[in-house]
Amino acid sequence: MRALWRRLGWLLRGGEFVLALAIVVALWHGLSIWVGKATLVPPPLLVARAWIALLGDTLPEDALASLGHLAGGYGFGVTTGFLLAIACTRFATLEAIIDPLIELLRPIGAIAWIPLAILMFGIGTGVPIFLIFYASMFPVFINTLAGIKQVDRRLVQAAQMLGAPRRMIVTHVVLPAALPLVLSGARLSLGVAWASMVAAELTGSDAGLGWRIFWYQEFFAMDRVMAVILTIGVLGYSLDTLLRGLQRALTRWSPDSEAATR
Amino acid sequence: MSPKIELRGISKTYASARTGEDVEALRNVSFDMGAHEFVSIVGPSGCGKSTLLSLVAGFASPSAGEIRVDGVAVAGPDPKRGVVFQDYALFPWRTVRGNIEFGPLARGVNKAERAVITKRYVDMVGLTGFEERYPHELSGGMRQRCALARLLANEPELWLLDEPLAAVDLQTRNILQDELLRIWGDDRAIETRRAVLLVTHGIDEAVYFSDRVIVLGRRPGQIKEIVPIDLPRPRRGRRNSGELGRYVDHIWNLIRDDAAQAIADETT
Amino acid sequence: MTQTQRTLLPLLFFTALIAAWEIAMRGFGQAGLVPGPSGIVVAALRTLGDGSLWSATAGSLQRVAIGFAIGAGLGIPLGLVMGMLAPVNRALSPIVDSLRSIAPIAWIPMALLWLGIRGNAALFIVAYAAFFPFVVNTIQAVRLIDRNLTHAARALGAGNWLILRAVVLPSAIPSILTGARISMAFAWGSIIAAELAMGIKVTSGGSAAVGLGQLMVSTLYIRRDVDALVLYMIVIGLISLGIDLLMRRLQRTLTPWRQA
Repeated sequence: MRALWRRLGWLLRGGEFVLALAIVVALWHGLSIWVGKATLVPPPLLVARAWIALLGDTLPEDALASLGHLAGGYGFGVTTGFLLAIACTRFATLEAIIDPLIELLRPIGAIAWIPLAILMFGIGTGVPIFLIFYASMFPVFINTLAGIKQVDRRLVQAAQMLGAPRRMIVTHVVLPAALPLVLSGARLSLGVAWASMVAAELTGSDAGLGWRIFWYQEFFAMDRVMAVILTIGVLGYSLDTLLRGLQRALTRWSPDSEAATR
Repeated sequence: MSPKIELRGISKTYASARTGEDVEALRNVSFDMGAHEFVSIVGPSGCGKSTLLSLVAGFASPSAGEIRVDGVAVAGPDPKRGVVFQDYALFPWRTVRGNIEFGPLARGVNKAERAVITKRYVDMVGLTGFEERYPHELSGGMRQRCALARLLANEPELWLLDEPLAAVDLQTRNILQDELLRIWGDDRAIETRRAVLLVTHGIDEAVYFSDRVIVLGRRPGQIKEIVPIDLPRPRRGRRNSGELGRYVDHIWNLIRDDAAQAIADETT
Repeated sequence: MTQTQRTLLPLLFFTALIAAWEIAMRGFGQAGLVPGPSGIVVAALRTLGDGSLWSATAGSLQRVAIGFAIGAGLGIPLGLVMGMLAPVNRALSPIVDSLRSIAPIAWIPMALLWLGIRGNAALFIVAYAAFFPFVVNTIQAVRLIDRNLTHAARALGAGNWLILRAVVLPSAIPSILTGARISMAFAWGSIIAAELAMGIKVTSGGSAAVGLGQLMVSTLYIRRDVDALVLYMIVIGLISLGIDLLMRRLQRTLTPWRQA
């Protein structure tokens, strides 16, 4: 009896989301009918059909191009930010120079670099990769620096007392202790990287999902535009979920991991 | 027989993180310890007991004076001088097993032997069955046992214990005190015991454990008296003898005024 | 490293860097093709005279303010409802999260279609960007309200209205203000992005509302003034800093009982 009740509860709970989704879709459909023009508000059914059509058409190559931009920019950006932060904890002079530099550059934001990037790289892959690289560097750098600095001194002392050589203290104590903050930095970086990717592709690229949005807009194929936009959202969400899973798996030992990985 | 540990004229001054002014934590502390002795340090809050312990551990150097172990000056932390910290300082990302085998791992002991060593000490402190737990899943008392096992796995010649039972509830504390005495060798021959330097707020605990109690005065910490505790061993289970109480009263009278003054200082 | 060393070192380094940059630029004859310190200063003096920068910045800031207000006006109530009613939260949060992961600027084509090129499209993007931090932080704010405080207030005899005014609201305000700060930062970032996109993609001239983004595009493609471009970037950064400082000051004034 209890098991049945529990299963019903689970269904009901999932059911709320399904209900809400159904209502949103219904409202959307209503709106599109009320507005009347499919080029203004494409009805959900049309968008769904467009999406399926795109799957066999431009979507895979666009998604691949976008993911390629992301992989290049995010990969380099995160690595650079991480290594730079480690170097800064090692060399105080470096930190004294880099820290104000970061504080000066961060308010400018990746977006403001777009015109200069277009000038430097021309319309193409250079702009998105550069922008994503730039944007992803900052959160990881800041978080890694903070993460290493907040490592409890007592843990380092404990390791020394137990006879660990210096290298082992870095790999077995400092880095694991800093890991939670480093991973949240990586997640923040992913967020800004994804947004910068869209902006960069919209304005300075000739490939990718962001670029494709305007390409379809030229033909007023708004159903396809919607489909691409939704794909961007879903893809971004999935990537974040993947990273969140990694974060959760690697920080299971932390007492506040549940809250931190919301 | 030369003493195992010698402290001569130890003074320590450091700059306060809060005010930037110099704080004189210890002044001219000298004493010796034998290789099988249990010595406790008691005193009012802020008298420098923990500072003294970290100097012996090698985490900091004294501003004046010398600390020698086996005739050699202390130059830094060493596995021969193991520490149990007040807040355990267990590595949160390592399991109980991972923490205990850290010392052997650092020394390059191979995996099979590490497993043997770990098992021995896990059983010794009574954590059998909890090897795969993470510190945040353990109670305070269990974390303390883990910290102790981690210390013991390196078989140090000197145990430095910084208020190890301060964060634990009273009943657990009594149990752990008896455990500590048992592991140390309270009921075994003297030669099997290691040197222990314990810092604590609990005078009764100090008397219960120790061969000698060093009483420090209010900051700057100086030795008021070194009280030899002439109670017979084994002492385990005999907490409330009249003699023990007399030692406690004596020591409390030594520091009572200082303790009250320390509280007044803190609130100003 | 002493404090004086910490401030002097970067100063010296950057002065040397700027000097080297200037010399290298002159030496290679790249002035005008590559941005340089002297060129930026010249561009700055020029814009002081011709006022295009001021009007563009004013236009952008105006839209940021309006978009921010819309985002707050819609986001805070939704956050309150979602925070207080768990079923609503369960129902809506996947939808909110999914929409949140669509970068605001992706909506530009739709926004242009619905609202035209006269600047309201950019406003929509800003409002969209400002909306989500308010929702997220308000939900968080409601969650964080310490049950003990409401119980303590009730035990002291407070009625519902007083509890709302004296306990719920003050407890919630810090988080909501943090949301406001993040929201403002997003808003500023997205107005530039939106104006850039509009400037690049909308080739039909005569946008009535010109903002910094469009100014940058016209400088890029028409005037080709690299020094001015860097100047605009610096201005964007300065405004970002100014906005953040303002928001922090506001937060401190409105919630003096919070530490940091």
